[in-house]
Amino acid sequence: MAGDDDLIRRAQPWFGTIVEIAVPKGCEAAINAGFAAIRHVHARMSYHEDDSDLDKLRTAPVGLSVAIDPETVCVLRFAALLHGETNNLFDVTVARHLVAARFLPLRGLHNLGALTGSARDIEIIDDTHVRCHAPLLIDLGGIAKGHGVDLAVAALMKAGCRHGIVNAGGDLRAFGGEPQLIWLNRADGGLAEPISVTNLAVATSSNCHTRTRHKGRVMTLHIGHEQRPVIVDHAVTVTAPSCIIADALTKVALADPEFANTLFARYGAQMIIPELLKAAA
Amino acid sequence: MINRRAFLGGVPFGLAVVSQPARATTYFTGATVRQVLFPLATQFIDRSLTLTSAQAKAISNASSARVSKSKVAVWEVRGAGGKLGTMFIDQVYGKHEFITYAVALGPDGDVRQIEIMDYRETYGDQIRIPKWRAQFTGKRHGQPLKFTKDIKNISGATLSCLHITDGVRRLLATYALVIAQG
Repeated sequence: MAGDDDLIRRAQPWFGTIVEIAVPKGCEAAINAGFAAIRHVHARMSYHEDDSDLDKLRTAPVGLSVAIDPETVCVLRFAALLHGETNNLFDVTVARHLVAARFLPLRGLHNLGALTGSARDIEIIDDTHVRCHAPLLIDLGGIAKGHGVDLAVAALMKAGCRHGIVNAGGDLRAFGGEPQLIWLNRADGGLAEPISVTNLAVATSSNCHTRTRHKGRVMTLHIGHEQRPVIVDHAVTVTAPSCIIADALTKVALADPEFANTLFARYGAQMIIPELLKAAA
Repeated sequence: MINRRAFLGGVPFGLAVVSQPARATTYFTGATVRQVLFPLATQFIDRSLTLTSAQAKAISNASSARVSKSKVAVWEVRGAGGKLGTMFIDQVYGKHEFITYAVALGPDGDVRQIEIMDYRETYGDQIRIPKWRAQFTGKRHGQPLKFTKDIKNISGATLSCLHITDGVRRLLATYALVIAQG
């Protein structure tokens, strides 16, 4: 039934947020497998983590093949696909702008201006090797988190859970045949009335409360056309079959909703503006 | 979202706050979290302590985290083969959330696992009033928060674990400077 209160819930801090896993009674042991998948993605793909794959790519000389985790390659492949499909709008190498605006730490970088490479300079050699053809800085941000949620769902199902929810803040996925009520966060911090989803990922993004000023202009976590900051005063929710898709498409939809509309059918996605739903009482 | 107004007793100048959707989730109690953190434990020895002001200052300096209370809830965990590690139970306050969490350290003081035990959160702009969030602690009079039981799954990146990260750093400094020394 929707809003199943019989689910067992556990929560741990990962990806700078709190990740909650909810499964039916009797599946408690599977939760460890779900969190192990989250932990793995966090260790390999968090911008903030020492010895992550992003750390390896950041410190490797340009042109050198770098051995990284197959899951990181999987996320980079998806990022490359979307980079092409969005005419370069979706770009995981915009991290230098986020560092300049102090959303991300420097991590030993000295010359941000030299990091001129873009996503097209990332060559995926095989399932475990990547080469950067220009100096660049990668932040996988929400899509790494989304992929972590997808892998956790896979781990839970493999461990025998028939249904449940993995919620990493902005990235959530309900799996199994049970409809679940999902409350959408609006940009003002309030909640909209819940929607009911079955077997679906739900991602919500906004940048109302994550803004700063850099060199006299407003910066947000989201970078859009011509590398200008995306400033939108409402949230965007995207539903899709997987969390990595849902998360990535929220970023495209915030930057260019009309263009994003042309992609949704291809990805089995839909967009909701939480502000247009009735507010939760 | 804004469906009624309430006045907090005792708030200076009769400051009005608007009721907000709020949720509370209890994941674990002190008795149940230990089984998940240390399934092989045979003994939890209460080593809870009160920091001296000098210790609190040293911990604050070492961790760059504020030490807001002197009491530390900590257990030495033992199994059949000897010491398994250390367990802390701690609280942190965010802008609009109140979190109780447990940290398991291995025998060498490395972080093995962190579990959220209790999470309370309100939504909306009024949460920026510091006295609003003070209600979480139950330390002030006035309108208690009404938690909506059916709010479970929220899509939206409002949950920050920044304060937990600070809290864990503070506990690690407490371990290194006070507990491991003892």
